[in-house]
Amino acid sequence: MLSAEKNERLTRVGPGTPMGELLRRYWWPVATHDMATRVPVKRRLLGENLVLYRDGGGTVGLLAEQCPHRRAALWLGCTEEVGLRCGYHGWRFDASGSCLEQPGEPADSTFKDRISATAYPVQELGGLIFAYLGPLPAPELPRYDLFVWDDAWRDIGHAELPCNFVQVMENSVDPYHVEWLHGRYGNFLKELGGSGPLPVVGKKHVKVAFEVFEHGILKRRVLEGHTEEDEDWRVGHPLVFPHMLRVGAAGLATFQIRVPIDDENTWHVWYQTYRPEGGAPPRSDIPVYEVPLRDERGEYLRDYVDGQDIVAWITQGRISDRTKEHLGRSDLGVILLRKLYAEQMDAVARGEDPLCTYREPHEVIDLPMEKDKFGSAVEFRQLWTRESSIRYSPIKDEIFELFGDPVPAWA
Amino acid sequence: MIGFCPGCGTALGEASFVQEFWSGTDRHFLCWCASCRLMCTVVIGALVGTEPEH
Repeated sequence: MLSAEKNERLTRVGPGTPMGELLRRYWWPVATHDMATRVPVKRRLLGENLVLYRDGGGTVGLLAEQCPHRRAALWLGCTEEVGLRCGYHGWRFDASGSCLEQPGEPADSTFKDRISATAYPVQELGGLIFAYLGPLPAPELPRYDLFVWDDAWRDIGHAELPCNFVQVMENSVDPYHVEWLHGRYGNFLKELGGSGPLPVVGKKHVKVAFEVFEHGILKRRVLEGHTEEDEDWRVGHPLVFPHMLRVGAAGLATFQIRVPIDDENTWHVWYQTYRPEGGAPPRSDIPVYEVPLRDERGEYLRDYVDGQDIVAWITQGRISDRTKEHLGRSDLGVILLRKLYAEQMDAVARGEDPLCTYREPHEVIDLPMEKDKFGSAVEFRQLWTRESSIRYSPIKDEIFELFGDPVPAWA
Repeated sequence: MIGFCPGCGTALGEASFVQEFWSGTDRHFLCWCASCRLMCTVVIGALVGTEPEH
């Protein structure tokens, strides 16, 4: 168990909370590229209500939801060539929050020079719009490899999950769940449905290890029939602190990005890159798709790998009550992650930059990831392109064609 | 629960981390002290206690 106080500290993300202060030291995806248009939209991040827009000049802005004039929501507004105009009385603000216009006030008034909307820095990278809600100066936006490769195809899935982001992150340092949730339970559903078991995910774990390193926590495993010479152990793959999992195999590399909307909701982003040997042919679009949580009967979808994870996370509760849990040795990765959050919260309280804060401009941050995953790169890729959220991608058939993998017998 | 750092004796307060887990019959507490930075695991071995109902 974890004490109620520690659980509270671990899971509260609003302004002024220790975790909230830590998380505000990072750039967060706040939207996919297609959400920033001339029509302002409401977004919520770290417990703060925000308005995202792209003005006529193409500048993306992110402002606090309420207009500083009479507190109407700024999503009730119209974008102009420069900035966003509040729909209620026409006050206009630019992306830095400066008030550019106050119709109705005397022409010679200087009132607007003393008024500003709360504005946050935003940057676009790799099809995502990143926001920074913390103290200035903001650190550099980390240019992780998947966001910047110029010879890869990409697509982005997303869904809002009704649970706290920490229980989602804990899944990333919990290797044993793979053989049970996906290997046993997932295959149990397939048995009931009359189809054969999935390959690879049912392999038992012989040994796991976790190591805190410069990018977060590196996770290694030895599966039955494998050795420490295999890439699952020699290379492993990382939980990228504080919010991402890097996973994939052989030309398929993905981030699972967990964005805290607030204490009880998480925006989950499945960010995929497809980069076969020699690179992918040029493609400029980055398709975006929503990942459904429920089927037509209103039941949670759990007939695929990501759906099984989602249901496990949600059923732990809006905020998992860790005072009632019982951890064992197989949970040491989870414990290490909680300790790392605690340590980094303390670093911020002492005025230090936390782990994975970049202050120097850089071209790319390369992350480690095994290519020959679970002993068979192609088998894993065949599985992941069919049994993850990619099954909802509008370009999944093109992805199959890109890799040219044969249709597996189990599909 | 473990209330004080086994290394420096400081109270394991708000900023520190204490997490219980089980290894066989042993009750373990992973502790990280925000004061002296020590991370250690306290194993309740010599203490004869009664395992609570789960």
